[in-house]
Amino acid sequence: MVKEYNKEYKIEYRKRDILYTAGLWLVSLILPDPHLPYRREFIKKRDFFYLGALVLLPLILSDPLVYLMVLAGIYAIVSLGLSLFLGYAGQISLGHAAFFGIGAYTTAILTTRYAVSPLGAFGASALAAAVCAYLIGKPILKLKGYFLALATLGFGEIFLVMVRESRSLTGGVSGIFGIPWFSVAGLVFDTYLKQYYLIWGVLIALVLFAKNLVRSKMGRALLAVAASEDAAASVGINVAQVKVRVFVVSAAFAGLAGSLFSCVMSTANPQGFSLGLSVLIVMMVIMGGMGNLYGPIFAAIFLTWLTDVLGGYQEYSLPIYGVILILLLIFFPDGVGTRLNARLIYLISYWGRKRRREKVDI
Amino acid sequence: MPPWVHIPQLLAAGITMGAIYALVALGFVIIVRASQILNFAQGEFVMRGGVVTFFFIKGAGLPYPLAALLAVISVVCIGFLLHLLVIYPLRKASVLILIMATVGASIVLSNTSALLFGTLPKALPPFSGDLPLEIGGIRIAPQGLWVLGATFFLFFVLYLLSNRTLVGKAMEASSTDPLGADLTGIARNFMVFLAFGVSAGVGAIAGVLVTPLFYTSYNAGTLLGLKGFIAAVVGGWGKNSGAILGGFVLGIVESTSIAFIPAGYKDAVAFVVLLLILYFRPKGILGSPYIDSRRW
Repeated sequence: MVKEYNKEYKIEYRKRDILYTAGLWLVSLILPDPHLPYRREFIKKRDFFYLGALVLLPLILSDPLVYLMVLAGIYAIVSLGLSLFLGYAGQISLGHAAFFGIGAYTTAILTTRYAVSPLGAFGASALAAAVCAYLIGKPILKLKGYFLALATLGFGEIFLVMVRESRSLTGGVSGIFGIPWFSVAGLVFDTYLKQYYLIWGVLIALVLFAKNLVRSKMGRALLAVAASEDAAASVGINVAQVKVRVFVVSAAFAGLAGSLFSCVMSTANPQGFSLGLSVLIVMMVIMGGMGNLYGPIFAAIFLTWLTDVLGGYQEYSLPIYGVILILLLIFFPDGVGTRLNARLIYLISYWGRKRRREKVDI
Repeated sequence: MPPWVHIPQLLAAGITMGAIYALVALGFVIIVRASQILNFAQGEFVMRGGVVTFFFIKGAGLPYPLAALLAVISVVCIGFLLHLLVIYPLRKASVLILIMATVGASIVLSNTSALLFGTLPKALPPFSGDLPLEIGGIRIAPQGLWVLGATFFLFFVLYLLSNRTLVGKAMEASSTDPLGADLTGIARNFMVFLAFGVSAGVGAIAGVLVTPLFYTSYNAGTLLGLKGFIAAVVGGWGKNSGAILGGFVLGIVESTSIAFIPAGYKDAVAFVVLLLILYFRPKGILGSPYIDSRRW
């Protein structure tokens, strides 16, 4: 009887095993890892505040501002991915616009030529960007500093030239038109409001993924690589592999964002994926603060708003934009929000001291 | 007609182009030899040199040599300002911040040029006539010879500057051994300041020489600067001779590639060369004093 029960139990377990493992793996991507040796709240109170604010924000925003938030959400996805690569692993990439473009063009070509559903194209564009990142990253990521920046920049330029010249596939300079709206199971995201919830929903899922990644073994390895590659290698971290993996993950983020971008804009043309976009995204990560996941999102909202406001000044917009970039870099080289409390306290105490000093002098 | 028929002609064009890349690359090398900083705004100095000369000739009606001289001086001032306003406040910042700051400076320089001098492409008259010289069936524009001559002249001058003068040696010392330079009393920040001026001057001379050959518009600087940087890396990062060699290699490879692939892909060739060099020989053809061959 006992033997019989055991046998039966084993068979039953084996059947469900596959389903359980697949489900658990998916859940583990967005839920905290219970095996971490210390207790720190994974979701804090402020996260609920942010979530509530995001859900309620469209109620008070006008239509153009909702559109701006849609764009900001797309850029926030890219800068979140780049934050893992640049902020945590300490590597430089000036070519993320190319992965963004690869995602956008994959979706554009698959939906308009081959009538693939937008959801399928969404997955395919992340895959395409990730595969490109793997092939490019293997040789390039050996480099450091200026040379890594230049190599990734070169990859971006090559991508642009390829897109412009292979006219039969990508439509050349004018690009591809008439990309259908994003749709899931009959629900079409055709208004800015719906797109807002779609994009920020995707962003929240990706933030949870990134938070878990940072707290995992790989996230710790990233920090070690950023601090010192030699030290990381000496404690048994495969530095080259870790760098390639985080590059692939951040490129997949950019691919997802590119796919959403082409669905929202319903066009894809090479002007949108130039060096200017890479610079903007790197600026978002720098302004948000290195090694910070929420910062780049706020910086994405701020810089998208800034470029929109500056767009109103016609030909003066780009010089002003450049000056603002330089000023931000000079005065906030490690992010606007980094150690904000400490800086505010210092500032207030400085004023206090100054006033006291003046009183004594009198 | 088979593609190799055109190769001698393309080779001649490539040598001219290579001389231009070599001039731009020299500008990068001057700054790197003094401070290990990479100036992404180098291409904008070249563009400014051409555009400001055009402005002085057409707008102010000055004679050609005077206009070129004034343009070079004004661009040197821009180089000094760039150092004082952007590089000096960030002298202790990380590589990434410096890259972004110089990219920001390049955005400002190219777009203020569009504001001040207009967005139309500018062309200067050649120094010595339009008639191409025929040597063995190959046509060479006389301006190309001017560019070649100027490249080697500047190479010689820079050799004298860095090997035969105290200032040049001090510049090099402040990059290779900052602590030692401080101990011997070299004002390192002043050396970097001077290096930015010299580099801007070389860039502006390149701009004056290039504008008769190609139309220089306000956004031409970025790509030219990138290709100059690629030339400096290909030849050997941080060496004057490497910059010259890399420039010629890049120019010749790029222009002969037209015979084999569609002309639209020409701009990608330089970056493919860069990726190949970085992968197989990251210290460049002639080797580099700044890149350790074992760990780069």
